[in-house]
Amino acid sequence: MKRYVKILLGVVLFFALAGIGTALYLFNMQHKDIGKAKPDFVITAIDLQKAFEDNETAATAKYVKKILEIEGEVESVKTGEANVLNVTIKSGSDLSSVICTFVRVTDPAKFTAGSRVIVRGECSGFLMDVLMNNCVKIK
Amino acid sequence: MKRVVILFTISFLFLTVNGQKFITKNGYIGFFSHTPMEDIKGDNNQVNAVLDISTGDMVFLVLVKSFHFEKALMEEHFNENYMESDKFPKSTFRGKITNLSSVDFSKPGKYDVTVNGDLNMHDVTNKISVKGTVEVVQGGVNASSKFNVVPEDYKINIPGVVRDNIAKTLEVTVNMKYAPVESK
Repeated sequence: MKRYVKILLGVVLFFALAGIGTALYLFNMQHKDIGKAKPDFVITAIDLQKAFEDNETAATAKYVKKILEIEGEVESVKTGEANVLNVTIKSGSDLSSVICTFVRVTDPAKFTAGSRVIVRGECSGFLMDVLMNNCVKIK
Repeated sequence: MKRVVILFTISFLFLTVNGQKFITKNGYIGFFSHTPMEDIKGDNNQVNAVLDISTGDMVFLVLVKSFHFEKALMEEHFNENYMESDKFPKSTFRGKITNLSSVDFSKPGKYDVTVNGDLNMHDVTNKISVKGTVEVVQGGVNASSKFNVVPEDYKINIPGVVRDNIAKTLEVTVNMKYAPVESK
C-alpha cells in the first residue's frame, strides 16, 4: 500500500473515531453540576419575584436559563413524584412565591418552614410563581 | 394563552370565597416514550392546577421549561427543537368532568371520571377526552390520569435522524394532590 493511502486512511479513521466519541459524549452528557457552577445572578427571592411580576418579558430575557443563587425564607416543603422535593420560598406577595425543585436532595428534613436558605438553581420562568429547577441547597 | 393565565389568576383569587375550589402548585405531569432504541422520560413537578368541585371545571397550567430529563441533551432537544419553549413557553388544559354526579366529594373514596377539554401546546389546541380517577381524601382531593398524545397532532416535528428514538405516541401521566384554599 502506498504511503499516502496509509496516511489518508489514518486521517479518515481519526475523524471517524473523534466523531463517534463526540456523539457519545453529547448523548450521555449529564446536567451541569449546579453546586459547582458559578451563579449568573445572586438575588433575593423577594426581588426575583418582583422582577417577574413587574415585567415578565424583561425578567424572562434576563433570568431564564440562567443559574441564580437566591436567598429567602422557606414557606413550605412538599414531596412530589419520585421523591422530588418542592421548596416554596416566600416573596413579598401573598399569591406568588419562588418554587425550587430539588431532584437530588430528597430529604424534606433539610428544609424547615420559617428558616432562611440560600439555593442555587436554573430559572425556568414564571407561571404564578417563579420556577427554579435542578436546585441545590447552598446554605 | 394570556387569557387562560388571567382566568387562572382570577379563579385563584376567588377560590377563597366559596370553598368549592381546590388548587395545587406542585402537581405532576410526566411523559414517557418507549422505543427499542431508548426510553425517554420527562417530569414536571411544578404544575399549577385548579379543580372546581361544584362545576367539575379543571384547569392545568404548565411551564414547558420545567420538564426535567435524565440527560442534558434530551432536555435541550425537547426545549429547542420540539416544543420550541422560547416561542411557546406555556401549555394549558381547560376541561370539565363529564360525569360529576358520580363523584361524592363529601365521601372519601375513589371515583372514575371522564374529562373532556382543550389541550394547548406548541401553539396548537386539540379537543381531548381522557379517563381518570378522582380520589376524595382527608383534607383534599387527588386526581390522576394516564392518556396518550401524538406529537404530530401538535405540529411537533421530529427529524428523521432521531425518528426511531422517539415513540409515535407518548404516554402522559397526571398526578395532582389538590388542597382546598382556606378562607381568609
